[in-house]
Amino acid sequence: MSPEDKPRVLVIDDEDSLRIGVKRLLELEGYDVDTAENGTEGIRKGSSGEYDLAVIDLKMPDIGGIDVLKHLREKKPNTVYFIATAFASYDTAVQATKMGADGYIPKPFTSEELYHHLENGYKKRKLIIEAERLRQDRERRLLEVHFERTRLNTIINSLADGVLVVNKDGQAVLYNPAALKYLQLDEINIEEYVINKLPPEISVIINQYLYTKNYNPNSYSAQVELKPEHQLFAEVTCSPVPHPDKSLAGVVTVIKDITEFKRLEHLKSQFVSMVAHELKAPIAATLGFINILTNEKLKVTDEQKLDFLNRSSSRLTGLLNMVNDLLDMSRLEMKTNVREIKELDVKEIIQDVINLFQFEIEKKKLKVDFIITEPVMKLNADQTEIQRLVTNLVSNAIKYNREEGKIDVNLACSSNYLVIKVKDSGIGLKEQEKNKLFSEFFRAKNEHTKNIHGTGLGLSLVKKIVDSYSGKIEVESEYGKGTEFSVHIPLKKR
Amino acid sequence: MALIAVIDDDLDILDASSLVLKTNGFDVITANNPNDGYKIIKEHTPDLIILDVMMDEPDDGFFLAQKLRKENIKIPIIMYTSVSKALGVDYGTSDMVPVDEFVEKPISPEQLLQKINNLLKQKKGA
Repeated sequence: MSPEDKPRVLVIDDEDSLRIGVKRLLELEGYDVDTAENGTEGIRKGSSGEYDLAVIDLKMPDIGGIDVLKHLREKKPNTVYFIATAFASYDTAVQATKMGADGYIPKPFTSEELYHHLENGYKKRKLIIEAERLRQDRERRLLEVHFERTRLNTIINSLADGVLVVNKDGQAVLYNPAALKYLQLDEINIEEYVINKLPPEISVIINQYLYTKNYNPNSYSAQVELKPEHQLFAEVTCSPVPHPDKSLAGVVTVIKDITEFKRLEHLKSQFVSMVAHELKAPIAATLGFINILTNEKLKVTDEQKLDFLNRSSSRLTGLLNMVNDLLDMSRLEMKTNVREIKELDVKEIIQDVINLFQFEIEKKKLKVDFIITEPVMKLNADQTEIQRLVTNLVSNAIKYNREEGKIDVNLACSSNYLVIKVKDSGIGLKEQEKNKLFSEFFRAKNEHTKNIHGTGLGLSLVKKIVDSYSGKIEVESEYGKGTEFSVHIPLKKR
Repeated sequence: MALIAVIDDDLDILDASSLVLKTNGFDVITANNPNDGYKIIKEHTPDLIILDVMMDEPDDGFFLAQKLRKENIKIPIIMYTSVSKALGVDYGTSDMVPVDEFVEKPISPEQLLQKINNLLKQKKGA
């Protein structure tokens, strides 16, 4: 026997000579031997140490061998126990075996007899240990599998997308809470036939897999309105689950919430048709005037001609502004605009914008006051952007003003900011409209605004420009009285 | 002399159309929203209506056309719009859009006058 493989034996016997003799014999054979001279010591050593084998004398003065065996068997079930006794009888042998002894050694025994018993015992011990190792291994693996499964389930249950797996008979095999939510089902029972509980758009796809003879490896998607009136839209994708023999095992359905995407899509098409309408209206009006002016049969006075030309010019200016708004918006959004930062005279820019709108101002008989509080610093910024900002604010102040109203434009510097204020005496804003004011495409809709054209891009563009300079925009408004926009743009210190 | 009602929220279009029609010998009444449009139609019973879709209005041109037909007012209507192509829709005429002609803005004065005269002839014939 190799030293690593030295069997450890505990000999429990009250007879000194036997203990010493057995110890010597076994050590010669390569055993590692420990001894105990009575039952009490035997129990103590046997239950605290790790022994492969134990030989227990049946008759001992303090505790009998059977009781010692009982104790040790409980504490160390994997040790191989032998009962040794001089009062060998069939009954005691049976009793010892019943109490859990692995073998029975009648006294007196020869060394060969002892070796023979212990060798077999040691083989048995090895088998027991191996079995125990296998058992523990199996348990550990079961735990791992269980853990993996739990983890996988937790992951599937945490998915935002709904997952539903059915077998080839259309019975539910696996699903997660998101699937229940999207399908608006209270519960699904595993192995329950679920196809008839699904929206027809989904069951049609799944049934195609279930009722087709040949395995089809392709996935299919459909956009399904799960709740009416655009409340819940889902993209549903069904994929086949293959069996190892390449037949169909089932179908996995993934349900993805695309309500927001659909909402944006809807908003986009609304926006496109609105923009088209807004772009077309001034063209139609201008063409109408040109048709009149170029038609010699129509009698038009010089005064009318001038009026039509002015109105055409005004509509085309509006059209140009709108197109610029659209271009600036996409440029700012894509961040592709190359800024040309230079020193700007904002006084001049504001005056130019006011002059540009002279026709509209006179048409509405508005009174415009441009008040400059000196000193006004030069602003380092992109000229096109600041022009657009002022244009959109002034254009709004004109558009949403009343006839014979007033516009106050203020320019000042306060601490490190350049402050532009544009105040109108127009229709004002309702409280709930103020919050939405800077969102794209928003236009205040009420009885006053119905004859006013616009894409709703103007103010959101102003906000984008102000934000891009780390400035801020404030709005004060009283419904029916007027609105004041204040723009603060930081002056860069040099 | 035929009386034509023009209903459009675009004041420039309204003025240009009126002028073309007046110089071609029509009497013209105008309104710049569907409500006033309904009023002038009830009051003057025109021979023909030129109606804009007016997509900004809650009660738009479609609504007005349907309302008139429901009241069994059978005055020919030319629906005049700049939106149908933008919406990718070819409206045509149907029960949903109970009008006699559907024209896209902009339209030349000659074409408009031709359509008006055709409809007025049909009306006389009927």
